Amino acid sequence: MNSQKNIIQTIGIVLPTLPGYSETFFRNKIMGLVNKGYNVILFVGKEEGISNTLPCTVQILKSFNSGFLKNSYHALTAFFKAVLINPRRSYKLLLLERNNGVTMKRSLKNILINQPLLSENLDWLHFGYATLVVNREYVSKAMDAQMAVSFRGFDMYLSPLKHNNCYESLYKQPVKYHVLSDEMKRLLVSNNVASSQIHVISPAIDIKKFNRGDRIHNSSTLHILTVARLHWVKGLDYTLEALYHLKKLGIPFKYTLIGSGEERERLIFSAYQLGIIDQIELLGKQPHEMVKEVMMQADIYMQYSIQEGFCNAVLEAQAMGLLTIVSDSGGLKENVLDNETGWVVAKRSPILLANKIKEVVDMPEIEKTKIRSQAKQRVSSQFNLKQQQEKFIEFYKQPVAKSKRL
Amino acid sequence: MKKRLKIAIYSGEIPSTTFIERLITGLSETGLCDIFLFGIKARRVTYSNKVRVLGYTNSKLHKAFYLLTYSLLLFFLRRNDKKKLDTLLLSQSKNTLNNKVKCYPVLWHKPDIFHLQWAKGIGDWIWVQEFGMKLVVSLRGAHINYSPIADKKLASVYCRNFPKVDGFHAVSKAIAVEAQKYGATQDKIKVVYSGLELTGSKPDVVRKTPAVFQVLSVGRPHWKKGYTYALDACKLLKDQGFLFQYSIVGGCDDIELLYHIHDLGLADVVELTDKLPNERVMTRMQNTDLLLLPSVEEGVANVVLEAMSLGTLILTTDCGGMEEVIIDGITGFVVPKRDSKLIAETITSISKLSENKRNYIATNAYQKLLEQHTKSEMITRMYDFYKHI
Repeated sequence: MNSQKNIIQTIGIVLPTLPGYSETFFRNKIMGLVNKGYNVILFVGKEEGISNTLPCTVQILKSFNSGFLKNSYHALTAFFKAVLINPRRSYKLLLLERNNGVTMKRSLKNILINQPLLSENLDWLHFGYATLVVNREYVSKAMDAQMAVSFRGFDMYLSPLKHNNCYESLYKQPVKYHVLSDEMKRLLVSNNVASSQIHVISPAIDIKKFNRGDRIHNSSTLHILTVARLHWVKGLDYTLEALYHLKKLGIPFKYTLIGSGEERERLIFSAYQLGIIDQIELLGKQPHEMVKEVMMQADIYMQYSIQEGFCNAVLEAQAMGLLTIVSDSGGLKENVLDNETGWVVAKRSPILLANKIKEVVDMPEIEKTKIRSQAKQRVSSQFNLKQQQEKFIEFYKQPVAKSKRL
Repeated sequence: MKKRLKIAIYSGEIPSTTFIERLITGLSETGLCDIFLFGIKARRVTYSNKVRVLGYTNSKLHKAFYLLTYSLLLFFLRRNDKKKLDTLLLSQSKNTLNNKVKCYPVLWHKPDIFHLQWAKGIGDWIWVQEFGMKLVVSLRGAHINYSPIADKKLASVYCRNFPKVDGFHAVSKAIAVEAQKYGATQDKIKVVYSGLELTGSKPDVVRKTPAVFQVLSVGRPHWKKGYTYALDACKLLKDQGFLFQYSIVGGCDDIELLYHIHDLGLADVVELTDKLPNERVMTRMQNTDLLLLPSVEEGVANVVLEAMSLGTLILTTDCGGMEEVIIDGITGFVVPKRDSKLIAETITSISKLSENKRNYIATNAYQKLLEQHTKSEMITRMYDFYKHI
């Protein structure tokens, strides 16, 4: 491993797929690292549709779930690599896993699937999602690299419910953790991870792209917007119920929902049953420019999730000067400061949410302007891309501390 | 001698759901008609000799053999019919091998009535009328209540084809009204409720666990079951210090439910179990104080009928056709859809009912079943319906 600061460090980042053009978080991070002279290698799971526009090399981590012939070919290739190119690291991985109770069969499989990682000389091996660490817990140690893991929303809050103790082995390793919010940090600490090993680096946005200047919309109908995957974690059923109550309060509104997903039928039926289908507009997934255009027209941005890591769209809405109302789930209450940069409402409480919307509508214009301006100011100063890049550079400067557990 | 009716009951899969299987066996027991089953044979089932199973297993080889057999039969013995069907399929861009394997056996056996259980498939089966078969469509749950609302294309398929259908079987009056929005005419719809085999004597209502009130829901973890509302109600009950245990049979491993339970701190009072065999579900129902149906959409939930037959009290939402069987305060209890607060309040009230009141409700519920949900009534009405189409 390179320990001197003047030597170019190599960082391997493991992701499920190559980050798309609109995935600011990883793209910005990678660009920032490359610009600072780091060498970045991306390891992604999906072979198809790879079109790399990032200044880094991409390696494919074979999943071994294709047909028999293809699998056999990949396995044979990996086997030769393990024996002829990476015998020391492969053997070390085998020993580490066997000493930690991994079965021989699983361990041999892990040696084969992890050959692309073992073949590289990395200073840091950073897993973009914690779920990607499963069956790779000892790889960084086998290749003498530092290990870093990012927790997002889903892998922190949901995966452990579905797969009990899925991070048990991970938590035993010397790892530097990156999380999106203080709330996530608290949760990790409750799993006996040392606080000093956890670094909060919030998402960031390109402020220049989200600045609408003066509001161009001036209608008597309140325009509310949400940008979200149509997934139950986004609490959209509760949102629609709040809108039903809002209608009962006599406030004319139009609700626009941008995003696609498996819950479309559920949401349309809810809106229909609640008698608000005519006030709802589902635009499906839209490009960034279109999202921005709709934001230009909207009065209130709402993110009433029941589980959320941090949420970029809420940052973008604030930067655009929208009045923002969010739930208190996950990192949202850090994203929006209640009564300062927007409003935070207890999750799963549609009546409270409806009342809050009414309260905001009835608020004096001067008060709204103050909130808008504070939100813009805070997003601009605390959630910009430059700052995020710097935090990541800092993240990799210090190696993982010796004491990994509380 | 009068010709026996040949009725195809088609759900796409053999065996089908419990209530469709009950219809098949019930009709075959009358001895008045022959039943034909087409579609994929998911597993082996034994029926009486009045039921002809004409399905195929889902293997490429079996399908190829099956298709070849019917293609040859039609080609040599009913060439004109085959040609006509091929032309029809081609005109609808459905001239695929998969469609042919589905359609050729039906064309060859030509039942008098082709009863389609799931309305979404109507576009694939409207052709049967061209060959003298009568098309009957069941109006059930999601296929009518919400899918065409979210899927405009499906709604237009319904609007185009519903006026042509020879008869509709509606599982509730409510769904019959809903189907009329897509061109099903009232005179062609017959409401035939789901029926159960009843012994005739109401079981006693015995409170098994007086200290902890037992609430049970049964059904797959689908959003339409409204379990999240039930869990929100559980949170309210727990916060009030109400002693209860809530179980969802069939809800195991559903991440949405798991998260709700975890996030609301309900792990000690809510249990998700795997899908259980029918006898075990019945035992669970018998041992519970209350069966809760928090759904946002249903036809008439069979699980409610089964619980009523066991003397178990019911709390349901007012969704779909549920109020046609549960009359609030008489045969059970009804709350509005999507109202966790009222679910919680009603559960508390039910837990305080006297034994007399519980018996009164359970007796009325059983009486309601005898009036409109016996298997014999269902079979008689269905046969009568087929006969007069």
